[in-house]
Amino acid sequence: MRKSIKKKLSLLLAGAMAAGTLTGCGQDAESSTGITTEGAVPETDNATEEASTSGEPVTITAWHDNDEAMMEALAAVVNEKLAGENITLRFEKKSDVSGQIRLYGTDAANGPDMYLFAHDSLGGFAEMGILEPVGNLISEDKEADLLPMTIEAASYKGEQYLMPVYYETLLFMYNKSLWKGEVPSTTDELYDYMVENTDTNAGTYALVNQHSNSYNVAPFINGFGGYIIDKDANPGLNVQETKDAISYNKKFAELQADGDYNTVTALFNEGNAAAIIGGPWLISGIKEAGIDLGIKSLCDFTLPNGDVMTPYSGVQCLGVLKYAAESKKEALTRVLEVLAEPEVGITLAKEFNCAPANSKAYEDADVAANEMILAMEKSAKKAVPMSNIPEMSVMWGPAESLLAAVNKSGEDVDTAADKYQKEALQAIADMQ
Amino acid sequence: MKKSNRKLTPWLYNFPAFILIGIIVLFPILYTGYISLTNMNLYHWQDYTFVGADNYVRALGKVDSGFIAALFTTILWTVVNMVLDVGIAYILAIGLNVEGLRGRRIYKTLIIFPWAMPAYVSILAWRVGMYNTEFGLLNKVLVALGFEKMDFLSKNVPAFLSCVVLNLWMSLPYMVVMFDGALQSIDRSMYESAILDGAGAWQKNWYITIPSLRKVMAPVVIMTTFTTFKQFDIVYLLTMQKGAVSGSTMQTIITYAHQNAFVSNNYGLSSAVSIVIFVIIIAFSAWTNRAAKEV
Repeated sequence: MRKSIKKKLSLLLAGAMAAGTLTGCGQDAESSTGITTEGAVPETDNATEEASTSGEPVTITAWHDNDEAMMEALAAVVNEKLAGENITLRFEKKSDVSGQIRLYGTDAANGPDMYLFAHDSLGGFAEMGILEPVGNLISEDKEADLLPMTIEAASYKGEQYLMPVYYETLLFMYNKSLWKGEVPSTTDELYDYMVENTDTNAGTYALVNQHSNSYNVAPFINGFGGYIIDKDANPGLNVQETKDAISYNKKFAELQADGDYNTVTALFNEGNAAAIIGGPWLISGIKEAGIDLGIKSLCDFTLPNGDVMTPYSGVQCLGVLKYAAESKKEALTRVLEVLAEPEVGITLAKEFNCAPANSKAYEDADVAANEMILAMEKSAKKAVPMSNIPEMSVMWGPAESLLAAVNKSGEDVDTAADKYQKEALQAIADMQ
Repeated sequence: MKKSNRKLTPWLYNFPAFILIGIIVLFPILYTGYISLTNMNLYHWQDYTFVGADNYVRALGKVDSGFIAALFTTILWTVVNMVLDVGIAYILAIGLNVEGLRGRRIYKTLIIFPWAMPAYVSILAWRVGMYNTEFGLLNKVLVALGFEKMDFLSKNVPAFLSCVVLNLWMSLPYMVVMFDGALQSIDRSMYESAILDGAGAWQKNWYITIPSLRKVMAPVVIMTTFTTFKQFDIVYLLTMQKGAVSGSTMQTIITYAHQNAFVSNNYGLSSAVSIVIFVIIIAFSAWTNRAAKEV
């Protein structure tokens, strides 16, 4: 009796395991009929094409790893404009969006229709052949008001692949109640101020920065005439100008705590640092901390060589996946057309201090009066758009390691620069 | 007929499990092997072609002085961690089994706590809460005692020791619980006889406890040795996480392989490196299994 129970139980378990194993192999009833989770949008190619042309509801899904409230506000503007056309833009937050797009960029069943990310990942995606150039979806005259710098950032090998939405640059942000006197206009004066007003053992700082992050050190590197990678994919970690900039940054780094993002942000928000080099992504935390914030463009600081600090600009863009363009072309075109209008930029500027990619947005009175946006607009005139060639993706690692070796481990700049230049060249060679 | 049926039945029962293992374990390995023979990368994402053993030649080219240093660090890391892990866990488990100990259950619950925390959370909590120059407890103590702040993760030796301490914090609970369970299984009458024969604490430990634990603990120690050997999270998240590189250049073979192959988006090359590491780990596993049988 006991033996037969065991036998039955074994069979039952084996059957359950077989069923479990095969779960997911069958077609989902909903997806097989082309219905999304919202319950109304067909996803199969033909069905969707028919739907978008016949006025049936269409949902455009976009992945992002941005502030969710910001994405909701962006979607609300687009959805309001397209309400009569039954087109809905829906954002989904994903961690490591660029990694996810690499995985799902050819997966029409599980991937998104669009994604929002900084423009520096463009080259890699374009080479993979997973992006639809926006020029194939929207006419040039609709984009006439977009800032040329943002169009340049959204283009690769002469083709515009992305739709710029807003851009960011690093800024000098200071706590008005802690900063003593006027903010200096040269970096040497700034350093003198830091020496006078920093007590590392007490944990109080004049200025903090992510001093070993290449994006945050780029204002020095670009200002000194150096570069991380040039347009021909040559790394520039050991060119003299880059090394000069790194050496100059090192003395600032000694007075800027460990340079970790969480550390420097907490120091500033808790009132232990009078100023921080950061971007608009810090604003929500600063507001919560109740800091009386002052802002100055980094381009207002003159370096010892007479040039100004020149930050990178990062343009947040929406890209369209090729498979989505094949099945939802009309709906995507309408979404892109709305994104190219000033309203999205005005909303993001007013609510989230984002600098719009659309030049007409700056005519709005509130946008024109926004101190942070004005500082970014000023920086953008000098800022260098981050390189969007595929090789850029492997440069962040060696560049950051070089800065950490010099700033944190006390390695000699020349030796470390040669070492990490070699590592960068190897990483680029490994891509092929 | 009946005999052949009897032979087939176990295979039939196990067939679904074989399918499951095939899909979850075997297929990814075979697929990785297939990709390793192609030139799949950013530039050949959809039009990749067969390139033979080219990627293996390149992967083995990465077995350079950096790899040898990483291998040495990995062996040192494994030995130091295992000696401390087993030694400390044994002492703690003995302590938890001292007769008349009050609050035994509370101690056991507290000891298991680090094991219940997700590794990622534990590592980041230690990076900020213990090692951070501004907010870390260790630096708060140093400053209170009148010393300069210290960046524990910026140079190789302190970074190695910091990683060891965290690894012990995370792995000790498992080892203590296993030792504790094994200690409970020892027949008490042996100790009573030993006491009658005039044995002291040391002799009871050496002649009764340790020999009795050997067979029970051998698989646990071998499994932990294996997971310590291929540890990635602690070293990576403490010292080389993107955006928070600490300055230490300490590498284990897994972090070395990650840095040298997995950031390039060259899936052919990365797969070849994965297969090479897979072979190394299988060899290590075979060696540890043999060692287990010998115990």
